[in-house]
Amino acid sequence: MCESKLHEVSNQKPHQISCFKHTLFLVTTADSDQLGDVLHWLRQATSVFCGVVCGAIPLTGAIWLLVFLVLSTGIVYGYYTLILKVDEEEFGGHGTLLQEGLFASVTLFLLAWILVYSLIHF
Amino acid sequence: MAGGLRYSDALLIVAISFVSAWLCEGISWLLIYRTASYKSLRSKIERTSKKLESMKSATPAAALAGSKKSKSKKMDRFETSLKDSSRDLSMSKFKSGAVVAVVLVVVFGLLSSLFEGKTVAKLPFSPVNLVQKMSHRGLPGDDPTDCSMVFFYFLCSVSIRSNLQKFLGFSPPRGAGNTGLFSIPQNKTK
Repeated sequence: MCESKLHEVSNQKPHQISCFKHTLFLVTTADSDQLGDVLHWLRQATSVFCGVVCGAIPLTGAIWLLVFLVLSTGIVYGYYTLILKVDEEEFGGHGTLLQEGLFASVTLFLLAWILVYSLIHF
Repeated sequence: MAGGLRYSDALLIVAISFVSAWLCEGISWLLIYRTASYKSLRSKIERTSKKLESMKSATPAAALAGSKKSKSKKMDRFETSLKDSSRDLSMSKFKSGAVVAVVLVVVFGLLSSLFEGKTVAKLPFSPVNLVQKMSHRGLPGDDPTDCSMVFFYFLCSVSIRSNLQKFLGFSPPRGAGNTGLFSIPQNKTK
């Protein structure tokens, strides 16, 4: 169903909502856009989870931002090398894949961390 | 935790950011994304960048002495076409960009008037001096972990808006990466 939606409307990006579950695990190595989107959402999900956990415990100190960066990068790297087993050269190299959604994920992590920390502990 | 939430203002800022992000994307859709010219530009960029990628990753065996020159000429043509299309895409967003900017200025003004001088959240870290200029802007005292509306709204708008664009499929195509509004046109003919 997702494949047919991809070809339906030639000038529009396909709706991602219904394809999300499929694309998370069934990324074809032929489509760099699809892989990029999956990596983007993987980073965002990691940032929300880490932000909530850091805020709830709470973990304080700027070091946890660095820990988050290393952790989220490791998760994304592990996902496309170990689970998807893609050849990164076909998709622009490690740099291109690892920077998918990076800035948005950092701001989202900070937002979740600050919000949860402020609401729970004050 | 006594009574209500001390920093419940933060939730209001998140909600306002969310609504304004939807509003901005709605305006952009109305003025740009639904137009035929935008759709055709976008698909042209995607097609051209895919062709370029496949040409760049073509095996060395295919690059014979005679065809190498013509192949590089072809690649140059595709790259020029990609740059021109990307520039056109940037220019087509200019109109809605102005309207969106007005909306954002109004929202920012509203939030400033509501939360001027108020600490809206508590930072779980002490930011560096450069960041503190934004995070402690307009706040009394010198506690570096007090968070002002400006910094919090910045985090909200960047994270919410970029993910919303991605979710709705409005983020720019990957091939349109580094070219901007002011790049020099390359012999464009129509």
